[in-house]
This record gives sequence, C-alpha cells and structure tokens, in this order.
Amino acid sequence: MTHNKRLLWRALAVLFAVTLIAASCGDDGDDVDSTAAPAETAEPAADDADEPDAPATTAADVIEDTQDGDLLDTIISRGRLNCGVSGAAVAFSETQPDGSQTGFDADYCRAVAAAILGDADAVEFTPLTAAERFTAVQTGAVDVLMRNTTWTQGRDTEVGMDFGPTTYYDGQQLMARAGDGFSGSSQVSDIGGAVVCTNAGTTTEQNIADAAAAAGVDITLNTFEDFDIVTTNFIQGACDIVTTDGSALVGRKANQQPDGEEWVIFPPTPISKEPLGPTYGQNESRFADVVNWTVYATILADEKGITSANVDDMAANPPDAEAGRLLGGEGELQSAMGLAPDAFWQVIRQVGNYDEIYSRHLNKVGLTREGSANAGWLDGGLIYAPPAR
Amino acid sequence: MGLPMDPVAANVDAVEPWAGEAEPAQKPEEPSLSARQWVRQNLFSTPFNSVLTVVFGLFSLLVARGLLNFTFSEEREWDAVRTNLRLLFTHAYPEEQYIRIWVCVGTIVVLAGLSVGLLAGRGRGVSMKKLSLNLIGVGSAVALGVVLREPSVLKDADGEVLRDDDGVLRESFAAAMADRWAWWLAAAVLVGAGAALWHLLGDERRRKTFVPSVEMFVALVGLLVASAWVYPWGHYAFADGEFIAEPGRTVAMTTKLPWTVMWVLLIAAIATGRQLRRAGAGGGVRVALNLAWLLSPFVLYWVVLRDPALDWGRVATVDIPLAVLFAVGGAAVLWLLTDPRIGELGRIIATGLVGVAAFNWVAAFFGWYSMLQKVRLSFLLLALAALLAHNFAGERAQRLRLLGGWAAVTAVFHYMATIMNTPSTVETPTEALIGGFAVTVIVAVFTLLFSFPLGVLLALARTSKLPIFRVLATSFIEVIRGVPLITILIFCAVILKLFLPDGMSISLIAAATLGYTFFSAAYLAENVRGGLQSIRRGQFEASDAVGLTGVQRTVFIVLPQALRVSIPPLVGQMIATFKETSLLAIIGIFDLLRMANSVIPAQTQFLGVKREGLLFVCLVYWIFAYSMSKHSQRLEKKLGVGER
Repeated sequence: MTHNKRLLWRALAVLFAVTLIAASCGDDGDDVDSTAAPAETAEPAADDADEPDAPATTAADVIEDTQDGDLLDTIISRGRLNCGVSGAAVAFSETQPDGSQTGFDADYCRAVAAAILGDADAVEFTPLTAAERFTAVQTGAVDVLMRNTTWTQGRDTEVGMDFGPTTYYDGQQLMARAGDGFSGSSQVSDIGGAVVCTNAGTTTEQNIADAAAAAGVDITLNTFEDFDIVTTNFIQGACDIVTTDGSALVGRKANQQPDGEEWVIFPPTPISKEPLGPTYGQNESRFADVVNWTVYATILADEKGITSANVDDMAANPPDAEAGRLLGGEGELQSAMGLAPDAFWQVIRQVGNYDEIYSRHLNKVGLTREGSANAGWLDGGLIYAPPAR
Repeated sequence: MGLPMDPVAANVDAVEPWAGEAEPAQKPEEPSLSARQWVRQNLFSTPFNSVLTVVFGLFSLLVARGLLNFTFSEEREWDAVRTNLRLLFTHAYPEEQYIRIWVCVGTIVVLAGLSVGLLAGRGRGVSMKKLSLNLIGVGSAVALGVVLREPSVLKDADGEVLRDDDGVLRESFAAAMADRWAWWLAAAVLVGAGAALWHLLGDERRRKTFVPSVEMFVALVGLLVASAWVYPWGHYAFADGEFIAEPGRTVAMTTKLPWTVMWVLLIAAIATGRQLRRAGAGGGVRVALNLAWLLSPFVLYWVVLRDPALDWGRVATVDIPLAVLFAVGGAAVLWLLTDPRIGELGRIIATGLVGVAAFNWVAAFFGWYSMLQKVRLSFLLLALAALLAHNFAGERAQRLRLLGGWAAVTAVFHYMATIMNTPSTVETPTEALIGGFAVTVIVAVFTLLFSFPLGVLLALARTSKLPIFRVLATSFIEVIRGVPLITILIFCAVILKLFLPDGMSISLIAAATLGYTFFSAAYLAENVRGGLQSIRRGQFEASDAVGLTGVQRTVFIVLPQALRVSIPPLVGQMIATFKETSLLAIIGIFDLLRMANSVIPAQTQFLGVKREGLLFVCLVYWIFAYSMSKHSQRLEKKLGVGER
C-alpha cells in the first residue's frame, strides 16, 4: 500500500510539472497559432483521434483580417490584391497553359492592383465557380470579384454585395443558321416551332421562356449541362437555335462556325440586360471608391485619348485640367482616396485605357464596340464616367 | 507514383510489384498447341461457338474502328491536351518552383525502387516465348488498326479538301496506307522483333529463358525517357496570344533532363534495395522503409511543396522546448504507468489524464485559460498512450520500447504541427497551392491515409462489447452509407464552414478530404467488419487462454487475420476512392477533370475543345486504377487469400 501511495505521488508530481510548464508555454494563446496559418494549410492534420478538430490547428484568420481594419489598408499592408475570377470564361478570364490568367476581367484585376499598389502584377487570382463566388467575398478569401457577375437588385440587397460601375453591357441573344431563314434583324416572334437550346440552371432558360411567351410563339426548350454541349448539339443539328449572353455567342461564332455555314445572332436588342462589373462586399466604401474610380479612370482616359503608349507625354503636357488631375499632376484627389498621386497614371501605363483593354481581349473573339452598348457615350454607347474634379 | 497501398504491401515478404507472370512452380505444364490447333479448339469448336466468335469479333472490330477514327480524326485538336499538359497536372504551380515537384516525384521513385529491390523476389519473369508472342501480337494489332481506320480525305496543294461533282468528299484508301507509313514501320519493327526472338531461340530455350520483369519495366521506362530526347512531346510556349512550339520550350525538352534523373534514381534505388537484401538487411530496414512511405505524404506536401517559412526564434524558444518537455515528461508518466506493481492505480491515473486532456478543450472553448492547440493535442496523445500503457507493463525492455515509441510519436507530431501551422513560402497565383492531377493524388493519398485507421477503429467499435461504442459507430456508418458521396462533399464544402467557430476557416480541399475520409472510412469499416466476423471463436479463446490483454488480442491475433481476408474489398474501396476524386470538379476544385472539362475549353485557342481532354483524363485514371488493381491481385496471390 505505501508503495502504491509513493507511486501515486510521484505520478501526480510529474503530471503537475508537465501541465504547469506546458500551460505557461502556451500563454501566448491560440491566436499566435492561427495568425501564422494560411488558409490553404487546413488539410486534416494529425492522427485519426482528433480528425474533426484537426483543421482547428491550422485555422486562418482571413475573416478577422477583413473585419478588423479597413480593406484598403489591409491590401496595402499585404502588398497583394486577391481577385476572384472565373478562370474559364472565354476572353474574360482564361487560364493559360502556364497557369496565368488573361482576359478582360483579369486585366481589370491588374488595373485595381496597379492603382492600389503601383504594380499590375501584384494580384493573386482565385478561380471561382459561380456558386462559390459570393461566399468567397463574404469570407474575405477574395477582395473583389471580376467574374462576369450580373448586377441585379437581389444580389445588391439580399445577397449583400455591392457593385461597381458596369464594365461590359451584355445581354441575352439568340443564334441560328442563316440557311434556316434567320438574319441579324430577326425577332423572337420569328422563332415559332424551333428547338431552342441553352445551358441548364441559369437565368437564360427563364429569360427565353418569358420572351417567347411575350411574343406569343411556341418553342421547344432543351437544356444541357454546359454551353460546350449546347454548341455541339447546335453544330450537329439537334438544336435550331441556341441562346445565351451575346458575348459568349460571338465567341462561339468566331471559333466554331463550320465552313460553308453562316451563323447569325439576333435580335439586335438583347432579350435581357446583363450589366457586368466589379463586385465587392458591403460597407467597404474606401476600397469601393478605389475600384470604382479605377474603372472610371480607364474610361476617362479612353475619352481623352490617353493610352498606355502616350501616357507619359500626356502626363507631361495634359490636354486639359481634368486629364492633368487624373494622371497625378495635382494628385490631391487620389491622395484623398488613400492612393498614391500617380495611381491612375500607373493604371494607364501598365494596363491601358478602357478601349485598349477591350480591344486586346474581346476583338479577337469578334466583339467590337462600334454600335454596341459598350461604345463610349460620345459614340452613342453607355460607357460613361463622372468627371474627375 | 507512390500508390498508397505500398506501405501495406511492404509488410509482406517478397512482393513482386511488376513481376506479373510468375506462376506457382508446381502447376502442370500446359500442352503446347500449334496456332491452328489453338484456334480450332478455342474459337471454332462448335458451329454455335463459331457464330459467336464471328459476331462478337466483328462487333469488337467495329468498336475499335470507331475509337481509332475518333482518336486519329483530323478534327481532333490534340494540341489542346499537348499544350496544356502543365495545367492538367499542376494547374498554376509556379514554374520557378518546379524543382519541388521533381523532388516529390524523385522521393516517390526512390522509395518505390527501394521497395522493389528490397522486397521483390527474383521471380521467373516473362518467358521468351510469351515475350515474342506478345511482340507479334502488339505489332499485328497496330497493323490491324492502320487498316481499320477510315481512309484519308484527299486535299489539293493548298490544303483544301477535294470533293467530287456531287459534293462528296474524295477519299483514298491507298493514300491513307501511304500516309501511315510511320505506323506500318512501328508494326513491322514489333512483329519483326517478335519473330526474330521466336526463331533465334529453339523451342526448349524459348520456354526456359526468362526476362526478369523488373529489368523489363526499367528498360521500358528508359525507352520512354529516351524518346523525350528525340521527340518533342507537347508544347506550352505562349506569347502574344500565340502558342509557339519552339524546340527549347516543349514539354519534352524541358522535362527530359528531370525524367532522366528520375530514371537513374530508379535504377540506383532498385540496385541499393537488392544490395541491402543480399547483405541480409533485417526487419529494421523494412520498418524504416514503411515509416518513410507513411511519413512521405506529410513531409512532401507540407515541407517540400509548401516550404514553411519557419520563425526560428519561436521554434527555439517554444516549439522545441515543448516537444522535449512532452517527450521527457510523458516518458516519465508512462514509465510509472508500466510499473508492474502499479495495479489499479495506473488505470486511475490514465483516466485522470483523459479528464485533464478533455478539460483543456472545454476550457479553451470557454476561454478560461489559454493553451496552444498543439499542447492540448499533445495531452490527448499522452492520455491515449496512458490508456494503452498497461499492455506494455512488465519487463524493462518492453517498457523501454514503449518510451522509445512515445518519444518518436511526440517528435513527429510536434514537427508536423509546427510545419502545418507555418505559412507557405511558395507563392502561387491561386488560392489552392496546386491543382490538376496533383490535387487528385493529394486528396486520394490523404483520404486513404486517414480513412484506413478510422475505418479499422469504426469496425472494432461496431463489434465492441461496449454499447456506447457500438451505437456511435453503427449510427456513423449507417448515416454516412445512407447518403450519396456528392451530398457529403457539397455538405462539407458549403455547410461545414457554418459549423466552425468564429475566426476559424477550412480550405475547400481540406473540407473535401474530410468528406472523402468519412465516406471511405464508413465503407472500409464494413469491409473490415466482414473480416473480423470471419475469425473463429477459437482464436479469441486461445488468446484469452495465454493471458493476452484485449488490445494485444486485437492487435496481434484478430486484426492481422481480419485484414488479410478483407484485402480484395479494401483495395476495391481504395480504387473507388481514387476514381471518386473526380467529383472534386463539381464542388469547384480545379482538379484534372475540371481542367479538361471547363478550363481548357474556355481558352480562346481551344474554345469548346473538350473531347480530347476528357479522353486523356480517362486514360490517366485508367492507368492508375489498373496498376492498383494489378498490384492488389499480386498481393492476394502472395498472401494466399482465397486459397484457404
């Protein structure tokens, strides 16, 4: 008995010592561990006994990051803009064979990075699916979405997103074979009896059904998993007409129209409005201002003929006072926003003006600005920016 | 690649991973038939069988023709796959850090080579007869394929297709045969080599000469590697919207040197393994090799691919002292607990430790006192070890072995915890460190690593005498098995985040791995339970009779027999898990399938080009799943499963 008692005391003494020292070592608390951990490390860790708890060892504090301070300051101290893109959208954000991102949306990510950090390459692109894009903004995984997201009332209010100025006015259109008697001026009322195909689970399905009902024509609506399959069916003749956003149709026509066949896109006025632009979380007004004015700066530069080629000359001899202010001559407007005075000069020099960004990526898939809603306001389009003063 | 069952295989003596055709020596020799006799006996033995042979022969020729026409059609844009090989395998892993991926591949090659050299017996390999017949067969198949494919479309000098007056494409069989001269050459070389082998050796030597399978595999890999020095497989140079196949930038040209190094490493590792075996290397080397296999996924992922940016000051002042403290303090506790005189007191102390370990988590939850998560986990580990300690009570050597094991476990655990908690220095342009096929492999390997022990524990719990374990395990298994995998994955990807406390987040890949682990573990548990039930009562009674404790009985008597019986379903489950990783594409992870299905068809150059990529994905999955399946067949043969 006395032996057992001695053993007990010895065991308790060792235990006590271990606990005491371990606890004192741990007094810098949990957050030391969690601040050190990046988001992607949360692979289930350690042994099976603590499986469900394992991610806790690697918890990241991205959420705290965005909640504690101002998002703009966070990005500046991080030195990197986290930008959510599609990664699989023709001409808007394509993943190149070397893993880099190119496209209209990707370039607007670069423009924002150039404005905030002075370096268009200081962007971390996160490819997101349509389903996870808003969650990614809400959890702070990305700062801004440039992911052909349509600005709608529900998303602006209920979903809790804020939208920047529209960079691309898209709209749903239809595409058919000219050989079937369609032309660019055909209307929805001409498609009675046709087999119309589109991809499932998007608003395009609803839009075409509504438009057909409004025009009083009967159509057969077939939906497929994605638009690649829709196009294949169209080429093989299983569909008379396909419908989705006009920008996508033009790309398909440019790349996949078979020899000896003519595809036409109609009606001239799209059957839906799809304004696409930057999307960010609510109540980050300083960051929102920066994103908005980066877009406006590219539009203003386009309006005044400032391009990446002549931006240095323009900064030296500004054509007017507004251009001078924009390019940082008297940079107090930019400084008041929390940016460097030459922020927009960096944007134009490193990325280009609106027309340059547009032409670089969208011309090659057959999208042009002339006569579309994406022409400048002076040319009868909708691309318009408030004055920089 | 390091297929996850290698550690399992390595436990078995003399496994032959690639020694396929080794047959049991005592099998009676088959009577040798001439080709005509064989055909008559097997294909046209009765009129009805002749009809069946002809009908299904024609059917398979038609299928083959369709597949060949699809693959070699001029409409196929195989450039979409060739150009995007990097994207398909690693997504956006930075090029300047590619050496890390080669280090991973090299480590796996070396481990595989060592395993083969150390464990594979020198089987008889493939007989010359079989080899020459196979060569002739493959050559004939190539020739048949060349003839089967549809004739070429004729073109004029400008490359425009020629049509006759009715607008029908003009095709020419003769031109097609001439166009495919390279294929004819390949067929001729194969058939010629086979025939030469056949005729050079007499009948006796044909059957009695064997080519060792390992050497043959190494030679084949060598040929593939050598081809990279000659032929530019794939290209990925991209500039100003154009893909340029400059000679110095093709995939083959940039990877030929690394692959050659890999090949040399493989040869060296096999030779080293064989040398070790010849030198009579004992169980120690094998245990070390198994441990290396087991630890390699963790080390390769967190240390090599992520390269943690360690804060050495903190490592020296916090991490190392903590590890030493737990190693020494825990060892002292365990030494006391294994004292044979301690009796019931040991259990009380162990239970107390469990209480302390659990209370730490409660306290952390309510914020009563702060303690590093690592420390809390260490206490849990210590409590677990304390609960098991009485199994090691007794002799000094046995107690020391437990202490050694504890020190090793503590060291590994603290090392891994520190590494995992440190941010990566490898900066990638995407949130996920790696994508494409690499993410498939990572998710599959970690799922298998975690789900195997979890599945065994669940099976044991389900057959346990304690109702609480039984009910918990049964409900877990039945709930998970009653829900489709894709539902579990979406649940983990979308809803799991909402259950986590504030400030804690889990990456999508980690969440998916967790989902796969739960799903796979539930099925594994049922497979293992089947094995457990096949153990006769006598085994239990005998182990009780010699005075083994419950844990000893389970670990040393019951589980080895149960697992041996469950090998076929376990491997089936592993292959299923590997293939199911393609579901990652649905929850938005950029894995191999998503690359081929969404990302490549969205490149302007390859808009809508999807079929080629999907066929390639099928091929990659098939190669790996088929090798796993072959490997398990050999494992079964070695262990004699199904023979008694």
